[in-house]
Amino acid sequence: MRKLTTALLASLVVTAGASAALAADKTEISVARFFGACEADYGTVTDVTKANGECGIITALINKFNADSKTTVVKPEIVEWPGYDQLTARIRSGEPPVISVMHEAVISDYSSRGLLEPLDDDFAKAGVDVNDMTDAARQGVTKDGKIYAMPFDTHTWLWHINMNLFKQAGLVDSAGKPILPKSTDELMKQAQQFKEKTGKPYFISTLANETAFYTRTFDTLLYQQNVDFFADPNKVNFSSPEAKNALQLLADIFSKDLTTKNQDYAASVSSFAAGEGGVFICGTWLIDTYDQEAKKSGALANGYAVTAFPQIYPGSPRVWADGHSWVLLKQDLTDAQRASAIEFMKFLWDNNYEWSRTGHLPIRKSIINSDQFKNLPHRGDIASLAVNGTALPSAVKRQFSIQEIEGEEVGSAMRGDKPVDQALTDAESRINELLANAK
Amino acid sequence: MTDVTLSPGKAVAAVKRPTGASIGPRWSNALFVAPYLVFYVVLLVYPLFKGIWMSMLQSDMFDNTSKYAGMANYHRLFNDKIFIGTVWNTVWFVVMTVPVFVAIGLLLALALNSSDRTAAVLRAIFFGTSVLSVTIVTIIWKMMYMPGNGAIASIFKLLGLEPVAFVTSSSLALVAIAICTIWWIIGLPMMLFLAALQQIPGELYEAAALDNASRWRSFWSITLPSIRRTMLVVVIYEIVAQFQLFGQAQLLTQGGPNNASRPIVLFIYEQGFRSWNLGYAAAASEILFLIMAVAALAQFFVSRKRVEE
Repeated sequence: MRKLTTALLASLVVTAGASAALAADKTEISVARFFGACEADYGTVTDVTKANGECGIITALINKFNADSKTTVVKPEIVEWPGYDQLTARIRSGEPPVISVMHEAVISDYSSRGLLEPLDDDFAKAGVDVNDMTDAARQGVTKDGKIYAMPFDTHTWLWHINMNLFKQAGLVDSAGKPILPKSTDELMKQAQQFKEKTGKPYFISTLANETAFYTRTFDTLLYQQNVDFFADPNKVNFSSPEAKNALQLLADIFSKDLTTKNQDYAASVSSFAAGEGGVFICGTWLIDTYDQEAKKSGALANGYAVTAFPQIYPGSPRVWADGHSWVLLKQDLTDAQRASAIEFMKFLWDNNYEWSRTGHLPIRKSIINSDQFKNLPHRGDIASLAVNGTALPSAVKRQFSIQEIEGEEVGSAMRGDKPVDQALTDAESRINELLANAK
Repeated sequence: MTDVTLSPGKAVAAVKRPTGASIGPRWSNALFVAPYLVFYVVLLVYPLFKGIWMSMLQSDMFDNTSKYAGMANYHRLFNDKIFIGTVWNTVWFVVMTVPVFVAIGLLLALALNSSDRTAAVLRAIFFGTSVLSVTIVTIIWKMMYMPGNGAIASIFKLLGLEPVAFVTSSSLALVAIAICTIWWIIGLPMMLFLAALQQIPGELYEAAALDNASRWRSFWSITLPSIRRTMLVVVIYEIVAQFQLFGQAQLLTQGGPNNASRPIVLFIYEQGFRSWNLGYAAAASEILFLIMAVAALAQFFVSRKRVEE
């Protein structure tokens, strides 16, 4: 018995020592990301195909990387969306993460100040074929001729539709497709019809506590009217009849009770799943989540559809777009840390299809053209987004701050707190003041 | 006794040699206050002057080539409608909350100024919210204010009333933040008043009772004059604290809608950390400092005058 105990103890010590030695051999790198925390559901999942939704898939991807890599351990640091205040503070205090997720719209603010590492040479050495990047992705991560990030997705603004309520409202055609508006008049008419038939608002919108809905929808409505509001990247122009039309349309939707009015992001996401409205204007990232929801019993059961933002102005089908990417923060990294960072980025590149299951568009031509991607649910319905997604010109500085200001003023007019003309004037002067003082 | 005759020179030497406390400054005593002074200078005086200097620069968060801009940042601030709005919002918030802190804090203290167990439990409950972080507090109040399924909306529905959208209404957003703030930190003024009430000699009340004074008369003529200094402390502390409103507004409303609930500190934060305009943010900080100093000093002088009268 005593011998057995000794043997067991010895083997325990050897195993623990070996594990510690293995872990010590690996280089640890920190990766700051948003997309939420879901350790309870996916903390140990390494089979990425079993994960769903943004949070599930990124968690499983990192788990798989950590399980497979012989040289690197990724330590995820989860931040609140969008996380730039925290990142800025960490850079300023000299404690940045090794890698951070970053919207392509903000890369130039950081790259122009020398805060990011250019990655062209690293990608070439690691075997990342940058020619396989989609045009949108490559443009999004290229600043002043250099690639500053590993693109992860292109995401756009679209309509999630509750087909069960659309049927009830008589807005489904004989082929079983949703009847969508082709003009602003049709939009108001159909929304009114929906409200009368179902007793619910046509739209579910995230109007509380964030400005993304206002900015992205307003930009889309401007793009649809072929308005180039940043013809000069140092000056925005909202003093056009088209801008007034777009904002008035949003104000009318609100004043005629055709949308939910006081929901924040979490409330609006669950409100759509609970069948409290017909159309949820939001992003690509919820496609997989709602598709899974439609497989269960509930308000969305067998009744979920998604479509590109319907063209309600006779100009263009363009729609607001941006992209997530991964940047390497400039700091004193060892060769091993830099190699580990590139190894992780290459892993994400190789597994970009898995991320595209969220609903985001992939950033590799070889994936976007593959049958595997095209056969994913609803991807045929949103194929046009790959061409029509439009980002602000990369020469425009402080894009996130601009979007905040724009959203705030659009929101004020939509909610009736400010006249439409006043909101447009204020948005224009505030943004131009910001740009005039931005270096 | 022995007579001692001293030469004039020796007499002078005897006077110069004191037997009790030393006369004149003893610089070695400075060692006692030095640690405090060092921290005070490094953490308060230096940042104050550095802030004033920064407010006169056009300075970017990541740019080391700041240039002198004189009073340009201040000029820009006084023409910035958003900043002017934040000043009014902040002043209005202080006006809304400070009197309530004093009134409710004092009422609670009067009600709970007893040694029985119920009062002790209630004191702990009322003070308990003060130990929560602002994040927890705003999560709780988000759940309270949610227009669809929030606690307040449910009560409204139960009463057959239309739920009120507190945080998305430009006229109610700041009131909503004020209610949340009062709930959060009412415990501190209550405790300060309790401490003051317990210092009042019981004989005063006994004498008043012998004179048949009413409770109101005792309160007005004994309690209030006795706690005047504490009241001054509470008022000045709350003025200074509430002018620094930030977390609740940032997490509950993000300053909206229509800039209706954006306080000065949130404006400073946005300019510094989002727009990276350090000089502009520093200028706004100096204005806030001046407003707070003026408000606190005014309250101090007014109250001191009353106390002296």
